[in-house]
Formats: sequence, structure tokens, C-alpha cells
Amino acid sequence: MNFWDKMLNIDRRWIFLAIGVVTIIPFLIGIGMPITTTTEVEDIFDFVNELGPENAIFVAFDFAPGTQAECMPMAVGVVRHAFHNDVPVFMTAYFPLSHGMMMAGFDYVTNPSIDGYYQVVEFAEWAHLREAGITTKAELVTEWENEGNVLPENAANWVFEGRDYALLGYAPLFHLVILGMTSSIANQYPEDANGNALIEMPMLNEHKSLREVDLALTTAGSSACMSWITYAREKIGTPIAFGVTAVMATDYYPYIQSGQIIGQMGGLRGAAEYEVLMVENDVTESTGKAFRGMDVQSADHLLIILLIIMGNIAYFAGGAHKRHQMKGRG
Amino acid sequence: MKRTVPLMIVMVGGILMMIQYFIPHQYSQVVFDNYTEWAPIVGAFALLLGVGSLTRVHSHRIKRKAPNWPYSWAVLIPLFGMPFLALIWPESLWGGSDSPSVFHFLFMNIQVPIQSTMFSLLAFYIASAAFRAFRAKSALATVLLLSAVIVMLAQVPIGEIFGPWLQNTGLWILRYPNLAAKRAIMLGVGFGILATNLKIIFGVERNWLGGAGE
Amino acid sequence: MYETIGLWVAAFFTLAIYSFLYKENPIYRLAEHLVVGISAGYGIAITWEITLEPRLIQPLLAGDNWVLLIPALLGLLYITRFIPSIAWLSRYPIAFLMGTGMGIGFPLTMKASVLRQLEAAMAPVYASGMPWFEVLGNLVLIFGTLAALIYFFFSKPHKGLFFGTGSKIGIWVIMLGFGATFGFTVMGRISLLIGRVQFLLGDWLHLIE
Repeated sequence: MNFWDKMLNIDRRWIFLAIGVVTIIPFLIGIGMPITTTTEVEDIFDFVNELGPENAIFVAFDFAPGTQAECMPMAVGVVRHAFHNDVPVFMTAYFPLSHGMMMAGFDYVTNPSIDGYYQVVEFAEWAHLREAGITTKAELVTEWENEGNVLPENAANWVFEGRDYALLGYAPLFHLVILGMTSSIANQYPEDANGNALIEMPMLNEHKSLREVDLALTTAGSSACMSWITYAREKIGTPIAFGVTAVMATDYYPYIQSGQIIGQMGGLRGAAEYEVLMVENDVTESTGKAFRGMDVQSADHLLIILLIIMGNIAYFAGGAHKRHQMKGRG
Repeated sequence: MKRTVPLMIVMVGGILMMIQYFIPHQYSQVVFDNYTEWAPIVGAFALLLGVGSLTRVHSHRIKRKAPNWPYSWAVLIPLFGMPFLALIWPESLWGGSDSPSVFHFLFMNIQVPIQSTMFSLLAFYIASAAFRAFRAKSALATVLLLSAVIVMLAQVPIGEIFGPWLQNTGLWILRYPNLAAKRAIMLGVGFGILATNLKIIFGVERNWLGGAGE
Repeated sequence: MYETIGLWVAAFFTLAIYSFLYKENPIYRLAEHLVVGISAGYGIAITWEITLEPRLIQPLLAGDNWVLLIPALLGLLYITRFIPSIAWLSRYPIAFLMGTGMGIGFPLTMKASVLRQLEAAMAPVYASGMPWFEVLGNLVLIFGTLAALIYFFFSKPHKGLFFGTGSKIGIWVIMLGFGATFGFTVMGRISLLIGRVQFLLGDWLHLIE
């Protein structure tokens, strides 16, 4: 066994170790290399940015915990962006486990320990204002603060359950639920995940079905996202945007070109681009986890390219290719 | 009753729903609305199949003291414990930073980290595979390799030190040749799905009946 | 306190899974089994709480929607799968969902995955002011799709100008596409690892932001 063969047969745990080290070090150094944005992501950002309180969007958490590292920053980014522009957000989940992801994502946007969070006002808390006929966001905030409620210093704004957001959650055979929501959202979800009746929600009364919704963003780690195109876009023309894992992202370029989706965030890079766009447009003050991960992504990609080159050098220089050819002939 | 009726249900249901799409009549809409309301309820019960199978497999393993049988308790205890917790303490389902609960704790601090970490193991294996198996053995393999390397560099910030051409080339590959290849594959898959749908609706394909008696 | 204990438990299980990289071990196996049990248990609880309770149980208890007994009974037939003598009854709910699902999906899938895609494949190659690389790209798009389709057409031998050359061009286009997918797959896998390292170094150890 020559040197090159020994190199090819190296214990794979050394490669594991190299990946581990190269992943940790850039985090500790923290370079913050800039990234440029692409039209695929800009189109989604611009679309959401044009919306206001009279519109509504769906953010679908169609991923399980396994792919949350990629999908969660996308969903969280768009929810934050919508909250910033007072756009009501319906949140759904395709699988039982993605229901948990939806709750975790919402918690991340509304967690007081994170600066720039959105302070939740639960549905029951503002029932008296609803009964008094105060349902627009601007009036609600004024009235709520007149009652002596003070927005915490590190919070970005109030979000009223039923006015700014509705946590619809999981339902079995979700593709049929999407189809059902093209007629009526309340028929599919008599209650939200917190047990509130949907028909009492102002945002539901203004947006009774998917026909009255301006965008559905699906963040997915599987082909679940296709259901939104098939059952919402093709049935009633709802604009759809994708936030998908990198593994799937290349598969959906045909849908961008065909105009069936308005744009796509592909993997952590896509999420990082959205974070950059939010900072550039003063939606948030700083970038988030996805952008911070991009330095490491650079380092790991370089390492893997290096491994490919070394593997090929060892393969050809060591003569392994000739032996394989001979075996093939024999 | 055992085979013909289910096959008839598939055929009638399939044809009815197909027709429904093309006839936007009031009655057709009523059928559609009722159907979309009912289907998730029927579908919800399918979970019982999964739970039943899991319980059967793992209780057998415990009974027979099969290799590694004690681990089966790690499946069965949460399998029944989680719904039990939710039943006696429904509000615990949601948890969140301000309302601690056992149910939420188990999901967020055991389920989520284990599943996320299992998926992340693939990063190590793909690196090892890239070193051992990704070879420029032929012209086609070299094209695949070069395309992969260009896209990998174009997708990360460090790729920008090579100049804008690299990112542009990466995006060009994604937007044109990649798109053409994926569209061709997708059209094939699309036709395949449609053909399979028709075969099942018209009873040509019957494997789904399974082995539950003739 | 609650959050701190949670972080330590999550970190323990994260490291338990990573221990597999060195060698398979009992703690990894425990974690592997736990995840199966918890996800199924979670699924039951959520399905009950979110679907069956509000959509079925409450309307039935209120006594105003007895017709819902039909989907409920149909759904219950799934259980017959475990009773060999009447296991065939479980085919009924499957038949209902499959038949209707396929019927409802057929025209929409045709539109989404075939017709729209065919329409988009017939894009104009050139428009005024279009840079050369876009024109080249559009040519690749049209002829590349055709060539890749020819490659997947197995009913004719890949010989001659149309099928032979077409399939050869097709495989080159497919390889470029697969290369891009490999690049993105690497990116995706690394991103998942980044997520866990961010948890360990940030949320757990507070070494990074």
C-alpha cells in the first residue's frame, strides 16, 4: 500500500474531526463576510414589503425538527417582516411535528428575552376592545396603551392575537385542508391552536378564504410545499413563495421561471439573504442566525472542495484508477 | 365486499371528484366543502395504525426479550405518556417561554435536539463521501464535479473573492441547465403521477389492497 | 431554571447523537428509540387536540352535527387492520381517501406539474436588451429540456441524429443539474450542522451570540 492508498483509506473519523473543527472556529472568530442578495429572495421580500394591514399572508411551517436549522430562520424572518408592516399572519403546519415548529417559531418572534421581539396580547385580553368595535391595528394600539399598558423597551411593537396573527396549526391530510381553505378557512379550522373561535377573529372576518389572502409562504423540508402550488395556486391563483431546504431548492427553479412561485429562499443562504434585506430596509436592526452561519458555511465548503481535490489527487496519483480499470476489464 | 366494494369506492370517488372540479355548481361546491371537512377526520384515525404497529412490535420485543429489548421501553413510555400528559393537562401542550410544561419540555428539549442532530450527522458523512467517492473518472463525471464546485463556491460569501463571475456562473447553472434538467425530470414524474392516478382510479393498479384477505 | 434544565438536557442528547460519529453506543441507541416514541406520542396528542376534539368531538357532543359520525366510523375502520378476520374492512377508509384524493388531485396536478411547465418551456429566446448570457441560457433552457426529455425516453434506441445526439446532449445537461444539486446538498447538510453548533456554542455555552 503506497502513500496515496494510505491516504485514501484514512479512518473517516479524521475527516469528521476536520469538519467539526472547521465548523467551530469561524464561529469563535466571527468574521461576518458580506453576502449579496439574489432576485429569487428579493422578489419575496419586495412582495411582503408592499403589503399592509389590509392584506394578509399565510406562513406555513411545513418542516419537521430535522430541517429546522434551515427552515426556521426563513419562517421567522417573514413573520417578523409581516409583523413590522402590521400584515396579519395565519400560521399553519403540515405535519404533527411541524405544529411544534410553528409554536417554537412564534415563540422565537415573541420571546421577551430577544431584543426587537413582538409583545403578544392574547385573544381574551383584548376582548373588551373587540366588543367595543375597535379592531384596526392603529386604534387598538392607541386604546391599549391608553389603558395603561406600556410597551417594553426592547419590544418592537404589540401583536394582537386574532388581529395580527392566528396560530391555526396542524391538520391531517393537509393538502386537502389547503384545498378546503380555498372556500373557507373557518370551516377547516373551527378553532385556532389556542382554542379561540376563528369566526370571532377580525383578521378572519376580513380574509375568509385563501382567495382573500395575498401570499402563502411555505417553509418546507419535503415536497409538502408542492401542495400549496397544486391546491392553492392552481385552484384559485394564490401567490406562493417557497422557503425550502438547500437539498430541494434546485428542484424548484422550474416553478420560479414558470411564475408559479414568486420567489424562493434556498437553504440557509436564502434565509441569510432575507435577513440582510430586512436590515437594509430597516425592518430589523441586526441580522440573525442564518447570516451568522454563513462564515462557517464558507469554511466548510472550502474544506469539502479541498477534500474532493485531495481525494482525486490520491486516486489518480496513486494509480487506483488504473487498478479499477483493470478490474473492470477482468 | 372485500375487494370489489373498495375498488368501486375508489372509482366512484375518483371520478366524482374529477367531475366536481369541472362543474362549479352550487351542489358540487357543497359536496366539495363537506368532503374537505370530512377527509381530515378520516385521515386522523390513520394515526392509530402507526401507533398500533409500533406498540405491537415493541411489546413483542419486550415479551420475547429480543436483543436490545430494554430500549423498547424508551419507545412505549413516551408513546403513551405524551398523549396521557396532554389529556390530563391540555394547556401543557403549548408551553412556550412563559408557561413551562412537561409535554412541551419533552418535545423541545428531547425530540427537537435529537432529530436535528441526527439530520446534521449527514454533514460528516457527505464530507467523507466527497473525499472517497467524488471522482473525475470521465468527462461527464468531471462536468458534474465542476458544476458542484462552482455552485458550492457561488453560494457562500467567500466565493465573492474570486470575483462576480463565479457567482454569476453559479446562478447561471442553477437558472438554465439545472432548470432544464429538473423540468425534464419533473415532467416525467408528473406524467407518472397522472398515469398512476388513473390506474388506481380505474382499478388497474390494485397493490394498495394489501394482504388483508381476499 | 426550567429553561436552564431544558438546555442541559438538549445539549446532553445532542452530544449523545454525535457520539455515534466515534462509535455506536447505548446512549445513542436510547436517544434513537426515544425520538420514535416522542414523535408518535406528540402526533397523537396534537391530532386529538387540534383535529378530533374541535372538529369531531365538540360538534357531536353539542348534538348539532350527527352526520360527522360517518367520517368517524369510516376512520375507526382503520383499526380492523389489527383483527385478521375483518382486516379487509380497513380498505374502506383507504379507498375513500385514495379515490377522492386522486380524483381531486388529477386536474390540479396536470395543471401544476405538466401544463404550466410545458407552457413555461416555450419561453422567448430573445428580447431587446437581453444580455448574451441570458439568450444563451434561454437556448439551453429550451433545447436542454428537450434533450433531457429525449434521454429519459426509453421506448426508442438512442441512435441517430434526433435520439442519439439528443440523448447525449441531454445527459450533459442532466449532469450539470445534478452537480448543482450535489453542491446544494452539501450546503444543506452543513447548514444543519451549523444549527446544532449554534445551539451548543450559543444557547448552551454562551460562547457566541
